[in-house]
Amino acid sequence: MNVFDEVKEAICRIQPGIDESRITPEALFKDDLEIDSLSKVEMALALEEKLDLNLQDVELNDIKSVGQVVALIESRLKVRNA
Amino acid sequence: MPERVAVTGMGAVTPLGHNVEDTWRSLVSGACGIGYISLFDTTDFDVRIAAEVKGFNPVDYIDPVTARYTDRFAQFALAAALQAVEQSGLKLDGSSKYDTGVLIGSGVGGIGTLSQQLATLNAKGPRRVSPFTVPMMIADSACGQISIKLGAMGPNFSLASSCSTGADAIGMAYRMIKHGEITAMIAGGADAAVTPIGLVGFIQAGAVTRNPDPLKACRPFDKQRDGFVIGEGAAVFVLENLDHAKARGARILAEVIGYGATSDAYHITKPLESGEGAAKAMELALACAGNPDVDYINAHGTSTPFNDLSETKAIRNVFGEKAYRIPVSSTKSMHAHMLGAAGAVETLICCKAVQEGVIPPTVNLETPDPDCDLDYVPGKARQVDVRVAMSNSFGFGGHNSAVLVSRYMG
Repeated sequence: MNVFDEVKEAICRIQPGIDESRITPEALFKDDLEIDSLSKVEMALALEEKLDLNLQDVELNDIKSVGQVVALIESRLKVRNA
Repeated sequence: MPERVAVTGMGAVTPLGHNVEDTWRSLVSGACGIGYISLFDTTDFDVRIAAEVKGFNPVDYIDPVTARYTDRFAQFALAAALQAVEQSGLKLDGSSKYDTGVLIGSGVGGIGTLSQQLATLNAKGPRRVSPFTVPMMIADSACGQISIKLGAMGPNFSLASSCSTGADAIGMAYRMIKHGEITAMIAGGADAAVTPIGLVGFIQAGAVTRNPDPLKACRPFDKQRDGFVIGEGAAVFVLENLDHAKARGARILAEVIGYGATSDAYHITKPLESGEGAAKAMELALACAGNPDVDYINAHGTSTPFNDLSETKAIRNVFGEKAYRIPVSSTKSMHAHMLGAAGAVETLICCKAVQEGVIPPTVNLETPDPDCDLDYVPGKARQVDVRVAMSNSFGFGGHNSAVLVSRYMG
């Protein structure tokens, strides 16, 4: 499973019509993707459902970029699969 | 000195069309917007018909992200508001942005969103509930979305008075402009209650017809009437200080000249049999305008046994012998009961009647009820020189509202 692709898919779902090329690991949710705090929770819900993870126990406001979400999910998967 | 209130823009999303002109054409032709429900599975329901807004794609009006995070009722309201503001040519910029407010009423708000999120809560637990639940379900969400989209920074709020909602929103906006509190208001009503809980709620209250034939079920003032048909949609106006509208060269579509509202203080669903409260609302609206002759009444005319009888009595009490010479039609026979949008769409129909000189009919009035003995314009539209028209709206809880509009005659 490619975690970045999963995050990208979730972003496309919560922001329909978004230009997919804008979704890069460096992209900032607020400034680059116009994803506000509510949409970020919506994205977390989508990813939790898809990957059977808990992401709402971290402060989502501290997660600023796509890459940070990817890293968070990868670390959670590592723990789970250990 | 009270200000005069002009209608400079109108927008509508109804079971008969996605704009004012399509809706009007359907009404004049006597078309019926009622059909079998397609929005959800009705297998377990005793009633399977409604007047849905068919083929509505919110992305035709708003961006996909806004569409995803607005309830269907607010999508209807946004579409209708954009149509109305475009027609009015009203510019919302600079200092004028504070001179335009938004007042969109809704009877049940985002009932679809609430239902969906409750289902998620019950099936998957609290952690799966969307953070957009509250911003999408609140009844004022349409007002907020419209202000965001258009930049209207004046007063912004909703109101609810059940099936009088749309009329009261227009009435209150009219008063705000009349009394010089604001220059323009984007005002109307919207609802999207064709949902499982919305439908069954009205079924259990005994208000909905059990007639299974979609084209015959809604039959206001007919002896065989047995309840209303639930509908959905929105109608939105740009109401504007007449002098302001004239100064900017706006086309004046009609004038709002009166509004009256009362309460029955009687029962949570039944109207007062005598129609006393309804009559008083009509009298108050007429008094605002110096008691002009009324050429057309768009009735609340729900097709329930109680409403149509008490409304008939109320009209007779207000107009006396003249009542028999005033054409009264219930266009709900075609667009069904759009709940919080009903008063708004029916006021819009009154505005079209004074503009076009045509009165849309009451369809399905085939077996006259001896107790409902007015001229209900059965079956076919009629050409009449309509200068003043009245729209009646009544709602659960005993709300009675009447809005009076006139042709603009300079």
